[in-house]
Amino acid sequence: MHKQFFFAALLLFVASGFVVWQQNRNPKPVGITPTITGQEEYCLTCHADLPEISQSHPVETFGCVLCHGGEALALTADLAHSTMRGGANPSDLSVVEASCGGEMCHSGTPQVDRDHIQRVTTSLQATYAGAIAQVRYAFGAQPDLIARMGIYAVDGLAAFDSTTETSPALQAFGSNCLSCHLSAQPLEGIVYNRWSGCSACHSPAPREDGTQVHRLTTSMPYTQCNACHNRGNYSLSDVQFHPREDSPADRLHDYYQPIAEFTRCEWTLDCEDCHTRQEAMGDGHIYSSKKDIQYIRCRSCHGTLDSLPLTYTITDENDLALRMAFLNQVVDLKVGDTILMTDKGEPLWNIRVVPGEVGSTPTYELFSKATGKRFTFKPVMASTCQQKSDQQEARYCHECHATQR
Amino acid sequence: MRPSFYDHLHPPTIPAPQARFRYTLGAGGLAVFLTLVVGFTGILVTFYYIPTPEQAAKSVQELAFLVPFGWLMRNLHYWSAQLLVLVAALHLLRVVFTGAYLPPRRLNYLLGLSLLVICLFMDFTGYVLRWDEGVHWALVAGTNLVRSIPLVGDGLYSALVGGRQIGAGTLIRFYAWHLFGLTLILVIIGVWHIFRVRRDGGIAIPPPEARSDPTRIPRTELARREMLAMLWATVVLIALAILVPAPLAPGIQEGAGSASESLAPWFFLWVQQLLRIGDPFIFGVLIPLGALLIVALVPYITPQRLSPTELGSWFPKGSRNVQILVAILGGGMILLTSLALLQR
Repeated sequence: MHKQFFFAALLLFVASGFVVWQQNRNPKPVGITPTITGQEEYCLTCHADLPEISQSHPVETFGCVLCHGGEALALTADLAHSTMRGGANPSDLSVVEASCGGEMCHSGTPQVDRDHIQRVTTSLQATYAGAIAQVRYAFGAQPDLIARMGIYAVDGLAAFDSTTETSPALQAFGSNCLSCHLSAQPLEGIVYNRWSGCSACHSPAPREDGTQVHRLTTSMPYTQCNACHNRGNYSLSDVQFHPREDSPADRLHDYYQPIAEFTRCEWTLDCEDCHTRQEAMGDGHIYSSKKDIQYIRCRSCHGTLDSLPLTYTITDENDLALRMAFLNQVVDLKVGDTILMTDKGEPLWNIRVVPGEVGSTPTYELFSKATGKRFTFKPVMASTCQQKSDQQEARYCHECHATQR
Repeated sequence: MRPSFYDHLHPPTIPAPQARFRYTLGAGGLAVFLTLVVGFTGILVTFYYIPTPEQAAKSVQELAFLVPFGWLMRNLHYWSAQLLVLVAALHLLRVVFTGAYLPPRRLNYLLGLSLLVICLFMDFTGYVLRWDEGVHWALVAGTNLVRSIPLVGDGLYSALVGGRQIGAGTLIRFYAWHLFGLTLILVIIGVWHIFRVRRDGGIAIPPPEARSDPTRIPRTELARREMLAMLWATVVLIALAILVPAPLAPGIQEGAGSASESLAPWFFLWVQQLLRIGDPFIFGVLIPLGALLIVALVPYITPQRLSPTELGSWFPKGSRNVQILVAILGGGMILLTSLALLQR
């Protein structure tokens, strides 16, 4: 009996030692109380080494859970991650409203231009409505090219369901050709690597080794866009995607597929240096073709022989241009600066009129949004350009200015 | 000196054969010890638990992850409760298979059986208090079972969940039952049960002339054995608390869709499996209640066929029919539980 007592007591002593060991082995909780939510969260216990996702989303203000979801108090990975929205990507369009939305955030405030989620979810990149309309028209499923269906039902568009289509070609289209819209899983291969939803454009793609970059940015090189664009062609003849087959060795050849000519600015700059928010993210209306929403022309920046490009002078500290320049600080934009503006009134905030050249045609300075590099250029007006005033499409400019590839 | 409650529970001497662990399995004593552990850790856990739908699961997570040694308190509370159900069931089997339910212990048999039932309800209410996705299905299915009872089902359901649907009212009711209602009944019947053990003549033994081994052990020896059993039980509890944490899941979200089917708490897996067969009232209420009734009627089915001289040993011949009946019931439960686990 004494031996048994001794043995049991010894075991109890050892067990108590294990209790203390276990208590010390548990991670030391690292908590923050983000000012927006006021709710404690302990994600940083494990994720202290993550860089802040962007300077617009400081962790002290937003924390992690507001965007990502998850169990704020749990310190085991399985439980903590079990309720995360969209896995590692809370911007996936299926959960974006809960993650990024709300009238204080990205689904609309009384201030203009902050309803990103409504605009993106009706945009061609998300609905794929233009491609669906064209292909359905091509195979006789609808009488015209007007967008009637989208990847999901939204704003008058019905949800496209290839299984209910009678044409085998449209069924094949459903299974072979829907890999580029914002909700689609990318094709296999590093060149197609990207996230879905907002992060398709605004976050670096997962690296080849599967590691991820915790960043939201408005500084996007053309390679980000090229995860979907310029990767190949969808063929109507066999309803398949055909990847491009060239092996580009430099930027000029890598930028676009070898199917057209481009001027120097079209491949030295990045896509977002010319194309605007509304073109990429939509303006809240349903369009039937990319041509209907893509409205930037050469003359948007260069003007014509008769007119300078549109400009305006920033007078308000809350001007959208200043907000954009804050998000991507490639230019020290300030009140009083004169910047270019599109036909629709969107600020081309990275292109500023260089002040102080009295009596001459203005000089413009463009700061690349992706690299910060400064370029200067002169308008067409007062140049030797022989353009005709009714020939303003890019192909007319390309006749003289295209680069041989 | 006037005898204390301790002396009441520990007679000066008890017969040695019936004081052996292999006869009693120590189950009654361990049940008392585990009840004390569950009660003590329960009090500690109560300081952190917040019984609102928004905060319940969070407060459990806070206890498990952030409070120093909170994980230990919670895991000990959980494991002592699970072991209590096991040990109480073992105690019941011991009593049935040794014929100890015979008069004059019929009342105490029923008291003990009701304690087991209360333990199950305690365990179920405690399980639901987690208020997380892991318990959501069992909560919905369990309360819906009540609704399936003809005539009184709807009324009982409203009384149980505190309204038309599961919500804050349900949580506070389960909380009140767990902390006060069931605890009060458990303490009263528990003390009564222990008190009756001695009143009914201590552990069941044959009359003096029929005893093969007349040796007895003193109360100090009994107390020493109890101490040893408690030490071992504590070691087992701590080991389980360290190695197998009590389950946790994300909190139930208000307005979330219906709960997806998941496993019921282990002690109701057999009912869950029965429910897969058919009508919830028949398979979820009538059959389990019928099984309980059969077990409750054991002392009344064949009390006369077991002679007192057969007491004090396992599997007396006189109560074969009862032993077979209970073995079939127990085996059925184990079979159904295994099926439920296999079909998860």
